[in-house]
Amino acid sequence: MASNDSERVAQAEQIIGHEFRYFVGEKPGWSLTAGPQELELVAHALRVLLHARVVPDFSDDFRALADIQHADGGWGQESISTESAVWVSAFCGLMLIRGNRVLADGRIAASVERAVDYFLDTQQRDGRWVDPRWADLDTTSHPVSFFDVCLALGESYRKTDVARAREAGSRFILDHQSDDGGWYDAEFHPSGVEITAHLIQDSLVADVALGDRIGVRDACARGLACLRAWQADDGSWDDENVDHTMDCTRSSMVVARLLGESASEASIQRGIDWILANKNANGWGDFPGMETNLERTCDGLDTLLKYKAYRATDPHAITRLWGYLP
Amino acid sequence: MRAATSDSPMTPRRVRVADAADVPVGGRMLVTAAEREIALFNVEGVLYAINNRCPHKSGPLIRGYLDGCAIKCPMHGWRYDLATGESERPATATVYPVIVEGDGVFIEIAA
Repeated sequence: MASNDSERVAQAEQIIGHEFRYFVGEKPGWSLTAGPQELELVAHALRVLLHARVVPDFSDDFRALADIQHADGGWGQESISTESAVWVSAFCGLMLIRGNRVLADGRIAASVERAVDYFLDTQQRDGRWVDPRWADLDTTSHPVSFFDVCLALGESYRKTDVARAREAGSRFILDHQSDDGGWYDAEFHPSGVEITAHLIQDSLVADVALGDRIGVRDACARGLACLRAWQADDGSWDDENVDHTMDCTRSSMVVARLLGESASEASIQRGIDWILANKNANGWGDFPGMETNLERTCDGLDTLLKYKAYRATDPHAITRLWGYLP
Repeated sequence: MRAATSDSPMTPRRVRVADAADVPVGGRMLVTAAEREIALFNVEGVLYAINNRCPHKSGPLIRGYLDGCAIKCPMHGWRYDLATGESERPATATVYPVIVEGDGVFIEIAA
C-alpha cells in the first residue's frame, strides 16, 4: 500500500498503463466498429478514451455511436435495440458532446442536438425522467448531467429550454434528499450509497462550476458527509462492492474539489488504496475475487485517471473530466 | 426444513448440492451444479435456489439483500422473487426446484 500521495500516484500511473493496454486489447468486446454491443459498456469505454486523451485515435467509435442514434434522439440498451432508454441515452449523449470538443464532427454535433430534443421531450412534469432499469432519482441525474455539460461547454441549441429543464431536474433531486443527507429509493438498492454518489457528482455539484445558479453546496456537502460515514474501515463501500467503491471515490474527489473542502481527503486515499489492492491481474471484477468484466475495468481506469487529475497542480483538472468546465 | 417447488417443462436432473445443515434458517450458500453458479437461500425454513448471476449485469445474487421472499442484486438493486424469479424490472431470473431428502439438499435442473 502506498504511504504517501506521490507513491500512490506513481502506482496509479503504472496500473493505468497496464490496464489501458489490456483495455485496448479487448476492443472487440466494447467497440461498435467490431459489431453489436451493449451501449452502457460502449459509453464506459468512450469515457476511458476521453480521459486517456486518445479520442482522435478512436474517432470511428464516436461516429459509430452517433450513427446508431434513434430517430427520437435516444439510444437503446443494446446497439440493436429499437426502443430508447433515458439512462443509457444520457451516457451516450455525454460522451458525444465531450468527444466532439476534440473531433468537431458535424454528424456528431447534429446527434448531440437530437439528444437535447430527446431529453426535453421525455422529461416529466415534476422534473424527473423515468427509466425502468434505474431509480427515478438516478435516472434524472443523467439527463441533468448532460444538460450541465451542454451549458458548461457553451452548447447553444435550445439553451433556454435546456437551462429550464436542468433546473427542474435538479430541484426534483434536491427535494428528495433525506434528512440524513443521503438519497434512497426503496425499490432499488437498499443502502443509498450508489444513488447518493451518483447524484452529487453526476448532476448537483456541476451547479458550483456553473456559478451557483441553483444553490446546491449544502446538499452536496451533506451527501459527501454521508459517503464518508458509510465507508468501511478497509476503504470500500457497500460490502466490498467494487463498482460502488469506484463511484464513491470519484464522487468524493470532484465534489470535495468543487466545494473546496478537505474533510474527505483520508476517505479518498483509503478508497484509492482499496481499488489498487483489489484488482485482478488484468482488470477488475464486481467484488474482490470475481472474474474481470470490461465495464468494471473501464470504471477502474476512469477512477485512476481521475485520481491523477485530482492530484494535478491545476485545481480544475478533475472538474474537466466531468465536462463541467471547458 | 421445507423446499420450494416449481414445474419444469423439461425432464429434470436431480443434483445433490449441499447438506441440509449447511444452509440454516437465514443462511445462504453458493453452489455449483451442471456448471451453473446457483445461490441457495433459506428464508424462514424454506429453501430457494436461484441462478447466482443477475440477468441485468451479472451481479452475484449470493451477495444480495434479502427483502421478504425476494433477493435484491447488490449491484443495482433489481429485485427477484425467489420462488418464481420474477422481477418488477425488465428481466426474469432462473429459479430451480429444491428438494430436501434426508440430510441432503437437491436441485432439479432441466436436462
